[in-house]
Amino acid sequence: MAKLSLMFENKLMKEVSIGDRPVTIGRSPDNDLPVDNLAVSNYHARIYFEGSRLVVEDLDSLNGTFVNDLRVERATLHDGDSIWIGKHHIRVDATADTAIPWETGRKPASAPKINETMVLDTKARRDMLQQAAAMGERSQFSPGRVKMPTLIVLNGRVDHKEYVLTNKLTVIGKSPMATVRLRGWFKPQVAAQISQRDDGYYLGTGAKIPSVNGSPIPGPVRLNDGDLIEICGVRMNFVIRE
Amino acid sequence: MQIVSGGVTDLGRVRSNNEDSFRIIEPLNLFILSDGMGGEAHGEVASSLAVETVERVCATPKGDSDVTLAGASSENWSPQTRLLQNAVFQANFNIYQSSQEHPEQRGMGATLTAGWINGNKLSLAHVGDSRAYLLRTGNLQQLTNDHSLVAEQVRRGIITPQQAEESEMQSVLLRALGAHSEVDVDVDEFNLFPRDVLLLCSDGLTRMVTEPEIAGTLQAETDPEKAAQKLVDLANERGGLDNITVIVARLQDESKGWFSWLRRDSGKRD
Repeated sequence: MAKLSLMFENKLMKEVSIGDRPVTIGRSPDNDLPVDNLAVSNYHARIYFEGSRLVVEDLDSLNGTFVNDLRVERATLHDGDSIWIGKHHIRVDATADTAIPWETGRKPASAPKINETMVLDTKARRDMLQQAAAMGERSQFSPGRVKMPTLIVLNGRVDHKEYVLTNKLTVIGKSPMATVRLRGWFKPQVAAQISQRDDGYYLGTGAKIPSVNGSPIPGPVRLNDGDLIEICGVRMNFVIRE
Repeated sequence: MQIVSGGVTDLGRVRSNNEDSFRIIEPLNLFILSDGMGGEAHGEVASSLAVETVERVCATPKGDSDVTLAGASSENWSPQTRLLQNAVFQANFNIYQSSQEHPEQRGMGATLTAGWINGNKLSLAHVGDSRAYLLRTGNLQQLTNDHSLVAEQVRRGIITPQQAEESEMQSVLLRALGAHSEVDVDVDEFNLFPRDVLLLCSDGLTRMVTEPEIAGTLQAETDPEKAAQKLVDLANERGGLDNITVIVARLQDESKGWFSWLRRDSGKRD
């Protein structure tokens, strides 16, 4: 259960509670939360429960729906959030969010036991991933953009000025098989390595210990956009281009 | 490059049946591992069928009765990689077909992970969540992407790797052999360096033993079969909740001689 308070310039206009039925917002008077403002579309947005999560969905409105400062198409709401529609905003007053999404709402007929391997068929898999995505961080989802992790060489003797990381493993070293080939005498065959994991790119040691942003790494570290890598006298910038 | 290898499979401490299968075909440097699923020992049927099929297709590629991937990938994979991919594709079909012909086998499936080394090139193919790892200069890198729900959630930024490890849904797979007549087989190619160590394992290992421990064991024990056994023992010490299968393949150092002394890394750590 949750409460939605429609506000205009800190004045409470209307309050509704949301349960099983979705709450609609828009200029048309037949909405649950009617907003009389020209900047608001007739049917602007919709709020509903999906499992235990509260979700706001923009209904292709002209001027958009914003959660706190971010324009969204669809986003999970948390207690205290403000949904901005035109000059109005809706305060979300949610009772305790449950932590594990799978415990309520849509579940497969028999919940999989821990030690039992289960293979999801296509529809079940799609449903699960969709449900999981709705529970994820609120963000503007841009599926069309491709991320290109790149190493830009700032100084040092290597064979190229830039390297786009396309492989699972990237070796930095003197070896002819290395991706980033170090030049010069007495450089190790494998000086350092970058590997792609599920959650990003990690820089690991090889024969040498590289530094990231000035500090030698204690072990494999996740690289962030803009990090400065230094190894064997070569300095590179790790960037993620779109 | 010379390769030494060894493999061990173990029931674990909890299960009554070992549904894992593996095969090492030394003359080909082909390593195959499969983790079966399905009640009443059908997992064993699935995993052994998977391993046998991959071995047969790779060892005797000109079988006309084999199903092949139509069109396949747009990438420029080597013929070996393509053959391996086809072999796994065929394995899927065989398991599926068997379950169609034997209704009691309905629902059986298997993961499969196979590595094929030719010179310094590794072809890797997999379906499911059995993993391939590479140990190189002290770093253990996972080469395969698990086809599990939690791994997919991590890739999409929905949960963190830590949350994935604690999730109750860890054994839910998005892809396995035998579920449908066709399956997407993931393949990849890697350049191998001297002293690299390839590890193939079922999740019975990685659920019980951490990656740093695996790396440490592989570095300390140079005999591959002994290393595989040590890893199995470690997994059992920790509870052995599932069947455990481990294959270790080590790439030997390049030829000795005074020239290799010149090339030796300064400040080498191994």
